[in-house]
Order: sequence, then C-alpha cells, then structure tokens
Amino acid sequence: MAKKYGMIHDNNLCIGCQACNVACRSENQIPESVYRLQVWVKPEEYPNGTLGYEYHRQSCVQCENTPCVSVCPTKASYKNVDGIVLIDVDLCVGCLYCVAACPYQARYVHPVTKAPDKCTFCHESRLGRGEEPACVTVCPTDALIFGDLNDPKSKINQALSTRVTYRQKESLGTNPKIFIVPNKKGGINS
Amino acid sequence: MNQLWGSMEQYSTVVWHWPIAVYLFLAGLSAGAAMTSLIVKWIEGNGKPPWDGLIKAGALLAPVTICLGLFLLIFDLTRPLHFWKLLIHYNFGSVMTLGVLALFIYTPLAFIYAAIKFKPWLFETGPFSGLLKPFRGIVDSIGDSPVWLERTLFLFAVIIGIYTGFLLSAMYSYPLFNTPLLPILFLASGLSSGVAACILFGLLFFKSEVNEKNAKYLLELDLRVVPMELLLLFALFVGMYFQGGDKAIVAVQALTTGIWAWVFWGGVIGVGIATPLLIAVTALKNHAYRVGYILLNAWVVLIGVIFLRLYILYAGQTFVG
Repeated sequence: MAKKYGMIHDNNLCIGCQACNVACRSENQIPESVYRLQVWVKPEEYPNGTLGYEYHRQSCVQCENTPCVSVCPTKASYKNVDGIVLIDVDLCVGCLYCVAACPYQARYVHPVTKAPDKCTFCHESRLGRGEEPACVTVCPTDALIFGDLNDPKSKINQALSTRVTYRQKESLGTNPKIFIVPNKKGGINS
Repeated sequence: MNQLWGSMEQYSTVVWHWPIAVYLFLAGLSAGAAMTSLIVKWIEGNGKPPWDGLIKAGALLAPVTICLGLFLLIFDLTRPLHFWKLLIHYNFGSVMTLGVLALFIYTPLAFIYAAIKFKPWLFETGPFSGLLKPFRGIVDSIGDSPVWLERTLFLFAVIIGIYTGFLLSAMYSYPLFNTPLLPILFLASGLSSGVAACILFGLLFFKSEVNEKNAKYLLELDLRVVPMELLLLFALFVGMYFQGGDKAIVAVQALTTGIWAWVFWGGVIGVGIATPLLIAVTALKNHAYRVGYILLNAWVVLIGVIFLRLYILYAGQTFVG
C-alpha cells in the first residue's frame, strides 16, 4: 500500500532555534538567499501580560488538495504516490502560476534552474535512503514528528491520537498534511 | 537578512508583474477587436467588399495584438526556452492549458479573417504580393463571408476574453482575483478596449474608408459597455465586502490603501470610466460626429483598460488579507 507522509509541528516543544532550517539547507544544498524552510518567531503577550512566543513553520504543508498541481499547465507540479508534492523541472516552463496559486507561499524560484522549488520531505535525499527528513532528525526538542499517515502504528498517528492539532488555512479545503499542535498556554492567536 | 531565520525576500506575494498585465490587456483588446470587426461586418449592407475601415482595423488588430501579447508572455517566463512544452503537455484542469488550446484555434482564425479583409493589399498592391501568390487560391476558396469561420471566431474571441479573467480567478490564494465577476469584468473591458482600438485605428489609418454611421454605432456600443464595467466593479467590491472575513478586509484595503487605490480612483474610474461618460454627455451630445473628441474618447477608454488590468493584477497580489 502506498504511503501518505505527514508531519506534526508541536508549538509547545519548538524553541525557534532554526536547527531545522540549517539542516534543510545543508542536506538539500539550497542556494544562498532562498529557503525551503524557516521558523518564524513571533513575540506575543498573554492576556495576563506575560511574554510568550509563537513559532510558525514556514514551508510546504503538503496539501492533499493541491492548488499548485491544479494550476500547473504542463503537469510539472505533481503529487507522487506517497502524497509528496514535487516538481519535474524538465517539464517546467517557469510561468510561476504555482508560486502565485500556493496559499502558503511555500515555493520560490531556484536561482540556478529558474524553476520553482520547495520542501520535498527530503524525498530526493534522505527519504530514499530510509531516513527521516533532515529537519526532523536534527530537532533538539523533538518538536517535529514525521511518518506514514496510512500506517495506524506509525509515530505520527500515535501522536495525532493524543494531541490536539489544527492545520493552516483549513477553510480553503487544501487538506494539508502538516499538523500543528497549538500553544497550550492559550490566549495567543494562531 | 535581519532576522534569526534568514532573508524573507522570497515571500513577496507579488509573483506576476507588469508583462502579465499588458498581456491581459492585449488579449482582451484582441478579442474585443475581433468581436467589434464582426459586429460591424454583420450590420446590414456591410457584408461585402470594399470593407469598412472599422472592419479592417479590427481584423488587423486582432491577430497583431494577440501575437504581441503572446511574445511578451513567453519572454516573461523564467524558462522561456522551454515554452514549447506548454504546447504539447496539457493539464485539462489548468486554465492556462485551456487558454493555450483556445489560442490554438483563435489565433489562426484571426489571421485568416484578416487575410480575407486585406486580400487586395496582400495579393496585389502590397510589398509581399509576389511572395504570397501561392496562398491566394486558399483565401479565394474561403470566400468573402465564411459564415462558420466568422461565428467560430466570434465564439473564440468571447472565450479568449473571458479566459484571461478565469486565469486569475482560479487562484484562491488572492481574494481579489478569486471572484466570479472577474471573468465577466475582463470580457466587458476587453470588448470596450477593442471597440476603442478599432475606432482609433480606423480613424487614424483607414479614415477615408470609415462610414460615419458605423463609427456612431460603435460609439454607442462603447457607451453601453463602459457603464456596465462600472456596475461590474461596483458589484465586485460590494459583493466581496458582504462576504466578510478576509474578503471584506481586502475589498476595503484595495480601494483605500496606497498607490493602487490612487490608480483605481484616478486611472480606472477617473480616466477610464468617468472621462468617456463625460465626453459622451458633453462634446458628443446628441451623437455629434466630432472626430477630435471621438479619438480622445478612444484614447481614454484604452488607457483606462490598461489601468484596470494593472490595478487588478497588482492590488490583487498586494492585498491578500
């Protein structure tokens, strides 16, 4: 049976250290000034006046219902059998329809190929070797959990059964496979 | 780079730039010019050569402007040398693919239609008459009024005019694009730019062949389409406002914030809609035929439509809620 890869980002465990960001860049040889992954750190104030931080993983959310794939005129943007959204650079003409259509701003233009590029869950590197994505591997607080959503015994499904999660811009019906555990302390807008 | 996580340059929501707006304008103008030419040709008495200057203007503008637009589009790709892949790889769920397929039919039809209207110049008096001689037989065999070719061209002109709107409205990442009225607005403004371009071009280059009656007919047509644009814009923004949430916020921002609000009120409404209406009720009152004002009217309509395309493209990508 095909896999369906997904990920959890736990806002209570994340400390915004950017280890994932750095690991992604080095493992996938991302050129300078562009990023597949960043963690945006936003200072917030709780209703009682205490300082708090919100962590936003800015990257592809691996939609099931993919706006980027729907608009691509040449099928260069596609979703593979394991549910990962990828780009076939050879088919790409560079119209940037996908970059514009993505509601999550997950795509950037690769400075060398001039085709859009994005998070692939390390499909071309680590995943192929049976390893977890670089960001998950290096996270010092285990704020990231990766796994197969089709396997009831997978780590991600265990976590999804015990933690409250939401997904970004759920109202758009894109069905992202990145799940976010909201800040338990409350009072902070997502 | 001034924050912990690195440069945020790549996260600009403005992805498509002015060449796309100019393409949307030229495609709309091409479709509008084809429709205008056919509308005039289908008027009783205009159906055979010598063709009215307005028919010829539209017949010439349609293929020329669509080709200009397509060149612009190709050179705006980040991988322009790969553009041919658009022609052989299809995704029938993508408005861009559907546009490519519609253009496959529209563009050659526009060229054939123009060839019929410029037959004497192409095959007898023009500089290429010797070179084009072998094609004369083909154009002759089509005849002066190929009913089905003209009907198909008209249908595809409507499709081209409307697809440019769907191209943008298919993206739900941008609330101002993602409205059902946008394709209709683009079709209406495309038609009004086509009418204006035909009048302008006809009166500048084929003046002796333009029948005053036909020019007046087109002026009247434009005077009906321009208020329709105003109504569509009004319904679009009020409709977004009543949808609430992000859409309401975007509608208000787009009409009140920064340079694009100025472009809207000054360029789209002021130049493109208010000025032609003002000219119509003053200088051209009671269908007076004053060529200077008619040309001015055509210019402001055209400029207004360029402003509209630029405004929608940029404001739509700038204000995302």
